[in-house]
Amino acid sequence: MRARSTQEKIAVVSRYIVLSLLAVIFLLPFYLIVRNALMSDSQITSSHWVWFPVHPHWHNFVSLFHDPDAFMYEGLKNSALIAFGTLILQMLFSSMAGYALARIPMRGSNIIFFLILGTLMIPSAVTFVPTFALMATIGGVNTVWGILTPGVFSAFSIFLFRQFYLRFPDEIEEAGKLDGLGYFGIYWRLLLPNSVSIMMALGILAFVGSWNNFLWPLVIGQDPSAWTVQIVLSTFLTAQTVHLHELFAATAVAVAPLIVIFLFMQRYIMEGAKFSSGKE
Amino acid sequence: MSVTHQNPETRVKERNKSHLRTTLSFWAFMAPALIGLILFMGVPIIWGFLLSLSHAQNTIHFGHFIGIRNYTDLLTDPEFLNSLYTIVIFTLFIVPITFVFSLWLALMVNKVGRGKAFFRTVFFIPTAVSYAAASLIWRMSLFNGTAFGFVNHLTALFGMSPIAWIGTASPPWYWLVLVTVRIWLQVGFYMIIFLAALQEIPHSLYEAAAMDGATGGWQVLRYITLPQLRATSVSILLLCLIAAFQAFDEFYNILGGSGASSGNIGLARPPLVYIYSIALSSQDFGMGAAGGFILTALIVMFTVVQGKLFGFGESREGK
Amino acid sequence: MSSFQQLSRRELLKVFTFAGGAMLAGCSDKNPNGTKLTLTQWYHEYGEKGTFQAVQHYAREYSLLNPHIAVRVVWVPGDYGTKLATALLTPDGPDVFEDQLTEAMVSAGQVAPLDDLFTPEDLKDFNAKDIALNSVGGKIYGVKEIDDMQLLYFRKSVLKAAGVKPPTTMDELIAAAHALTTPTRKGIFLGNDGGVTALLTVLPWSAGSDFLVDNRIVFNNPRTVASYEKLLELNQSGSLLMGAPTDWWDPSSLTQGLAAMQWCGLWAYPKIHSILGDDLGAIIWPAFDNAGVPVTSLGGWTAMVNAQRPYVEEAKKFVKWLWIDNLKDQLDWCVGYGFHVPPRLSLAKRAPQLSAPIPAYAVKALGKYGQATPPLWNAAMTSDLTNSLTNIVKLGHNAARSVSNAATQCTRELNRELE
Repeated sequence: MRARSTQEKIAVVSRYIVLSLLAVIFLLPFYLIVRNALMSDSQITSSHWVWFPVHPHWHNFVSLFHDPDAFMYEGLKNSALIAFGTLILQMLFSSMAGYALARIPMRGSNIIFFLILGTLMIPSAVTFVPTFALMATIGGVNTVWGILTPGVFSAFSIFLFRQFYLRFPDEIEEAGKLDGLGYFGIYWRLLLPNSVSIMMALGILAFVGSWNNFLWPLVIGQDPSAWTVQIVLSTFLTAQTVHLHELFAATAVAVAPLIVIFLFMQRYIMEGAKFSSGKE
Repeated sequence: MSVTHQNPETRVKERNKSHLRTTLSFWAFMAPALIGLILFMGVPIIWGFLLSLSHAQNTIHFGHFIGIRNYTDLLTDPEFLNSLYTIVIFTLFIVPITFVFSLWLALMVNKVGRGKAFFRTVFFIPTAVSYAAASLIWRMSLFNGTAFGFVNHLTALFGMSPIAWIGTASPPWYWLVLVTVRIWLQVGFYMIIFLAALQEIPHSLYEAAAMDGATGGWQVLRYITLPQLRATSVSILLLCLIAAFQAFDEFYNILGGSGASSGNIGLARPPLVYIYSIALSSQDFGMGAAGGFILTALIVMFTVVQGKLFGFGESREGK
Repeated sequence: MSSFQQLSRRELLKVFTFAGGAMLAGCSDKNPNGTKLTLTQWYHEYGEKGTFQAVQHYAREYSLLNPHIAVRVVWVPGDYGTKLATALLTPDGPDVFEDQLTEAMVSAGQVAPLDDLFTPEDLKDFNAKDIALNSVGGKIYGVKEIDDMQLLYFRKSVLKAAGVKPPTTMDELIAAAHALTTPTRKGIFLGNDGGVTALLTVLPWSAGSDFLVDNRIVFNNPRTVASYEKLLELNQSGSLLMGAPTDWWDPSSLTQGLAAMQWCGLWAYPKIHSILGDDLGAIIWPAFDNAGVPVTSLGGWTAMVNAQRPYVEEAKKFVKWLWIDNLKDQLDWCVGYGFHVPPRLSLAKRAPQLSAPIPAYAVKALGKYGQATPPLWNAAMTSDLTNSLTNIVKLGHNAARSVSNAATQCTRELNRELE
């Protein structure tokens, strides 16, 4: 008995040691961002390693926003517009469609549902070239709405909203009908107020995905006025002159909002993560 | 169906009216999503297919049809075949590593008593970081080739001279850089899914197993935990596979150069990067579209093979 | 004005389909006040301090002289070629832009002919090679803004200390790089890709080969193969700097002492000279061997007018004002920041900054040894050739087979272009 508990103790302690070591490794990149963002270029490239600058260069953040080649302000503004726009419109359109598919009796609605499901099988690899062609034709290249719109329509969200609304209690809907509510009233007064949790979960996923998206904004945004913050970051690597301190300061600025969201809304994000594996 | 009461006409009218209202409501609710999906899924697929059969140099319009020449040209282009080979190798590495690592992390974190939330958060938080930002850290700080790179600093403590992690072809250190960045970014996400699934396994199963004398960790894992995680595992493998085949961001940002330098992308160029450069740098949209279809065929092939091997379960893929 | 019908249809579609998105985007890029016409002009990002301010200043000058026209300068860092080519496909691309002319741009109708901008005197004064490189089918499609060239820079004192003379052949260069390598300093820096991009065309030229002559791909020969194999040798020698913070076009690796020699542009001369002073030496790329020739590539940027925009005439006037008539701004642009050779021969002679020993040598060398690929050579061919050299240098593929594969691919591209 005694031996076993010692064995267990060893197991517990070694588990903590292993996990703590891993935690340090996982946090290391964040540390590097902060360290380098607060140093001058010569301090960063020095072969003598300093773990943390004695006098942090907070000024790096100021110079970042004043650098005419960095487009940081435009990037943040565009990314925020696109991420919030995607969040709001995707939730609205998907919940509307999910509601129609789950709750409005209609012949052929199953066919539509399966067609929508079918689009899940299409990887973006096959659509990004022609979608660019489409955007170029309707004038969406180099615009914020051109980056935003394709991300608004998500078969995946529609599917999850439909599943969610299928489980909505019939009695409440019946009660609403007796009160004289039509389809719109039921959706607006009864279903939407009860969809907050799923909307938070899916909405944050949509927000994060849109903020971090890279290929599509890269294809669509040629003029710096239409760049997202991810393109601004990538450009630091390909620009003519490399300002390391600004590059890391920009990374810190680009990553910080999502870290805050993740820390404060962890519960919903985990909920969303579960959704995306197909669990409800 | 039978109308026995008085005023049959009014009832029929009313029913027709309500039927019309239902139909109208249905389409009104469906319209935004449906139009959007048709415009951004349906139209591009047809447009892309027509483009792939056209000679579309410096133009986005199809019309100059050349049959399947774009496809045959691509399939005899050694660089394109090489990119397909690259992505298959990458996928074969990244999928099992991610799978095992995230499962192992979930099992470990699940067993921790105090501090569970802390560890869960720490492993999950990289999910918030974009591929572009992570690539930048990996390339300019963590695995930078000069003496000020962090890993080079560590190896210098053991008296080693700086290694050019990204530019060296043999040994192919750049794979270490590419694989670690993707693992760091995605393993926490899958860990969370596994954790959720672990919590749904009924306690009674473990108790029954203990009664049967299956006390060793391995036995419990093999006969209880893993079978219970089957559905989750299948969908994680699928998500991971599809994402890996469409890798672009970290290759572009870590190995890529710029207008005045090709960088090191020639070392490992995944198909999506190659398609991007055919379509947007070389401006051959017909061939770019054809490349998209070939890559999709490859993804479908591998999904089917994986499905045959592990079963499709009740899984559904996400984007 | 663009056709009203087209505009309204596009706007309608926008509103109809993307009500929400369009509202969010708010400001459309259409110019609402019809009184002032705005030309959009694109530049790639020049690395030197003050360049962005300079081009904005030129634009303002033009507006002062032509109050009804405003010029919006767009400064594009990063992968400029891809971004520009993509923007040119859309109806909202730039009105005026800089790039290198290709025949594909002409056949796609993207660029407007500019012959009428040149007087006979102008034509005589421009570098004849530049005029030829910007002509397709007997028409001129671009005005060269600047001529660029590259040099192998080194510190004289460092070479002297190591007992090394500036190399005159490829083998001497490899030996010199080896002799100059110390534990803290590499012998030579050719870019973070090991010289693949920077020397892609320079090496075969130095061996006396060429790429595209008389509508034929001509690089598939033993001289090209031999020159590429030497780059492999250099990459395996351990005397090449890799993974530097900046790439070959920025002189920091030389000035910070990370490498003893660096292949870089004449553009970087003012910066390097201000740091190294008279210790700085420079040569163009040495001849491959006794049968080769020393070489530098004639590069630079050409101003062109987008033929698909509604303001072609206004854009042409602006190009004529800035890049043909305005000698003062041209001189400022060529030698005020980084150094470039003015395409106007009279201007090149007049610039006092170019009379210092190294720039004077560079101007002469460019005239005598400068080489360039013709407009028929396109981005796809460059990428085929880059793949082949990467395979040779990085992945150890058989050089002859890689070059021959690239030739097959390039021939295919060429045939597509010519058909």
